[in-house]
Amino acid sequence: MGGLQKKKYERGSATNYITRNKARKKLQLSLADFRRLCILKGIYPHEPKHKKKVNKGSTAPRTFYLFKDIRFLLHEPIVRKFREYKVFVRKLRKAYGKAEWTGVERLRDNKPGYKLDHIIKERYPTFIDALRDIDDALSMCFLFSTFARTGKCHVQTITLCRRLTVEWMNYVVTSRSLRKVFLSIKGIYYQAEVLGQLITWLVPYQFAHDHPTDVDYRVMATFTEMYTTLFGFINFRLYQTLNLVYPPKVTQYLDLTFSCAQQKLSALSASLARVVATAEEEENQLDLFPTEGEDQENMQAREKEQKEQEAQKRLFEGLKFFLNREVPRESLAFILRCFGAEVSWDKSLCIGGTYEVTDETITHQIVDRPDMDKQYINRYYIQPQWVFDSVNAQMRLPVEDYFLGTTLPPHLSPFVEEKDGDYVPPEKLKLMALQRGEKPVQEDEEEEDEEEEEEDDDEEEDDDVDDEELTEEKNLKKLEGTRAQGKTLAVKVTPGKVKPWETGSVGNKVRLEQEEKAEEKRLAIMMMKKKEKYLYDKIMFGKKRTTREVSSLRCAPAKPTRPSLRPFACRWR
Amino acid sequence: GFTFVFFTQVLLKVDIGAHQLRLKRVAAAQPGFISFKSSAGSDDLNSGQRKRVNKNKKKNWNKHSDIQDVEEFLDDVRLQERATGGLISEKPDDSLFFVDIGEQRKYVQPVQEGKKGKKSKSRPLRIDLILQHDSLVPPPKDILAHQQPNAKKLRRIAENAAKLAAMGVLPRRQKRLLNRRPAITASKSKTAANNFPDRPYYDLWGAKETADPYYLEQTGKKRVKRPEKLNSKPSVLPAVEVIAPGGSYNPDFFSHQALLLEAHEVEVKRERAELRIERQLAVNRDDTATETVFQELVEGLVEEEEDEDEEEEDVSIRGGLQQEKKTEKERRRERADKIKSQQKQAARVFTDKKQQLFQLRSIQATLKRGEQQTRERVAQRKANQEAEKSMPRRLGRLRFQAQDLEVQLSDEIPGSLRTLKPEGSVLKDRFKSMQKRNMIEPRERAKFKRRHKVKYVEKRAFREIT
Repeated sequence: MGGLQKKKYERGSATNYITRNKARKKLQLSLADFRRLCILKGIYPHEPKHKKKVNKGSTAPRTFYLFKDIRFLLHEPIVRKFREYKVFVRKLRKAYGKAEWTGVERLRDNKPGYKLDHIIKERYPTFIDALRDIDDALSMCFLFSTFARTGKCHVQTITLCRRLTVEWMNYVVTSRSLRKVFLSIKGIYYQAEVLGQLITWLVPYQFAHDHPTDVDYRVMATFTEMYTTLFGFINFRLYQTLNLVYPPKVTQYLDLTFSCAQQKLSALSASLARVVATAEEEENQLDLFPTEGEDQENMQAREKEQKEQEAQKRLFEGLKFFLNREVPRESLAFILRCFGAEVSWDKSLCIGGTYEVTDETITHQIVDRPDMDKQYINRYYIQPQWVFDSVNAQMRLPVEDYFLGTTLPPHLSPFVEEKDGDYVPPEKLKLMALQRGEKPVQEDEEEEDEEEEEEDDDEEEDDDVDDEELTEEKNLKKLEGTRAQGKTLAVKVTPGKVKPWETGSVGNKVRLEQEEKAEEKRLAIMMMKKKEKYLYDKIMFGKKRTTREVSSLRCAPAKPTRPSLRPFACRWR
Repeated sequence: GFTFVFFTQVLLKVDIGAHQLRLKRVAAAQPGFISFKSSAGSDDLNSGQRKRVNKNKKKNWNKHSDIQDVEEFLDDVRLQERATGGLISEKPDDSLFFVDIGEQRKYVQPVQEGKKGKKSKSRPLRIDLILQHDSLVPPPKDILAHQQPNAKKLRRIAENAAKLAAMGVLPRRQKRLLNRRPAITASKSKTAANNFPDRPYYDLWGAKETADPYYLEQTGKKRVKRPEKLNSKPSVLPAVEVIAPGGSYNPDFFSHQALLLEAHEVEVKRERAELRIERQLAVNRDDTATETVFQELVEGLVEEEEDEDEEEEDVSIRGGLQQEKKTEKERRRERADKIKSQQKQAARVFTDKKQQLFQLRSIQATLKRGEQQTRERVAQRKANQEAEKSMPRRLGRLRFQAQDLEVQLSDEIPGSLRTLKPEGSVLKDRFKSMQKRNMIEPRERAKFKRRHKVKYVEKRAFREIT
């Protein structure tokens, strides 16, 4: 026996953590500066597992940081800059107080500044790392670029954000990388695929600002400071990948309003596109290697996919749009240009319109009002939702549903991916059918189509042979129908299956095969252990239940085109 | 008539030179010298007793020789030079005298009262007058003003330079100036602010570290490596969470209903919490001490004697037991009982053990069950940990409070994009998202706290009115 008694809180988790105040004192910074530093360096507070141990027996809620993180912060050169700035402010205040104007001027000339480049490099060692983390930066910059010149944040920050966002949009336009758009009640969600990374960002509507009071603007400004730096470097690199000159000419117009800067999109996209074309073509030609078996299939699939993507990129190519004054011009112009359309608007509205309403070659005019006085015969008058829905559907949707004054079909979220058996809105089913190349002829036929698809999607494994046969017959019908319709179905049906179908005898073979399969399956079920059988039954029951529910849902609304029910009358705060 | 006004007459010429002292004495003795001032000290010079001093010491020469007259004379000469530009005795008579031809008409300036201010402005300031140079002694001549040293040489050099310039040859100094490297003013002067709108960007990831690592290490310029752990994100949540499909501006009926239901549940939960607090704070009427006012008044007056009796009995019994002493027989019996019970216990344990041999199967089953339970718990814990990664942590004094769900009621759904009224604020959404992802701790706005109480005083002017 013997030795010294171990003291409490001198080892273990108590020494691994440090409270915010202690960390602040260690770094000799004010709280605001400390918070700024942590945001810039990407050091976040931690919640310890055993708070009482860390907090030396107290249970008071505190903010903790990892001690090692703070020790790492000690090496940061910016810390010294912060201290210098503090001294600078003190001196300046003193000079002001003494009315030493020359002194003030001198101090202002020597204002200490700092750079974040090395921090960006440190936090994101490679370009892809940075690109993965750009969602936040994008949303933030788009948000700040919509701010008015209120005292909430520095005007220079707003201008810089505008510049960066316009540059980004230009990149997306020239690289044709936009994939999805979703108009929500909050703002517009965009998704683009840049260098293989899916990037999602949120853009607020243009005039939707009331400044909330419970948001710490200083924190947001600090984040923005970091993000603008990151964003700029990413933009540079992205422009480099397309062989473009980085600061594009748009930036010259920054002192104008945002929308005007946006207009430069039109002039710029044309000129930039020409530069790109050569590079793009080079990229798109896949190297062909003689391969066999599965590889070849994969290759074919990949090729097909790429072709589809190419087609999607040229979605609106050759179309000429005119935007009426009441539609959201920025987003529409951006999207339409992303897919290769020509866009113009009224000259009195904003500069940048390239042609007039009277232009005879306009194919579509986007309108968002109940009626128009003067209409041209040779163009479609459509509502803006058509553009967004077409982009999401990756095809030009029939314009009939979106004509002037008609009630619009619901705008579905492209970000939802339904699993097997989930409820799929009927509009989506219709859309899927359209994508497959089927034409919605009449209402009743449509219903049938939907059911068929449901069968397709669910792939129900029923024990009954009758059911199996029924589905088979349906499949048959469908196939016949598609054949009757013509060659539009090349997208989904693999050529290997369609060809033998044309000769009757082989068709029987297919049926026999399917029957055999069903038989095998039934036998397998019979051979199951009791336990497994129980589980299987349970699963099947669950599946059936979901499909039942779904079908009941589908039957329930007689005409649910415009929901006008009001089940919950209270207002949510 | 004519009147000759006699000003002064100077009879002495003074040579201010080496023999000043002697000369001055002479001058003072001269009867013709006219002093500028009325000389007062001349009497003192002659009158008064002469002190006898030994003149064989130089000190005494200095001390006891009277030079005041000389100094006065010299002063006078200087004054004359200053005031009149030379000695008066040397001046011609014309400059000293003039013919008085009666009273001259004085030129009276017409005083205009209105222009008083202007006049005063045009007059020089008194201070300027005082400071004016009024000595008539001309300043000493600058000899170099009219001649240049090395003029010939300089002229030759200039001619040479002109010739060279005509030929296009630059002088060496100018050449050196031109060759000098431009001062690095741009980078040195200021590091532009990070939000400078036209700030340049460059290929941050393309440039490779070129400097020698050893050099960097030795000069202390090597950056400390960032720990890998810091690059992991504090939450697994995505940066931008897309709103549910019901949040579309023109939603599908069922997805909209689903979103409404979700919002409804949130609201119900909130209401329930509020109700619970209310219920806890409510006064419970059943908890009142007595049922009627009468009982309350009577309380304590009516005695309940039964209770007291019981207490007394208890005390007596206890006292009796304590006092009794165990007999030897009782003790023996107790001991025997104890041994017996111990034996019984031992036998019981033995049989139990024996029995366990037959219970092996069930024991194994329990063990298995226990293990299964542990495994389940481990899995559960792991799942919880996984789930916690996407949960907001408690990072400070306040808990994270989720933003209110953005929902538009069925009758608020706009028919078209034009009539859409955006719900919620994107700024708040971003802020809350950062809190949710544990990047910043939730805080609340500091409340304004007044240090000293404000004292209201009715102003006198106001009080007079009322």
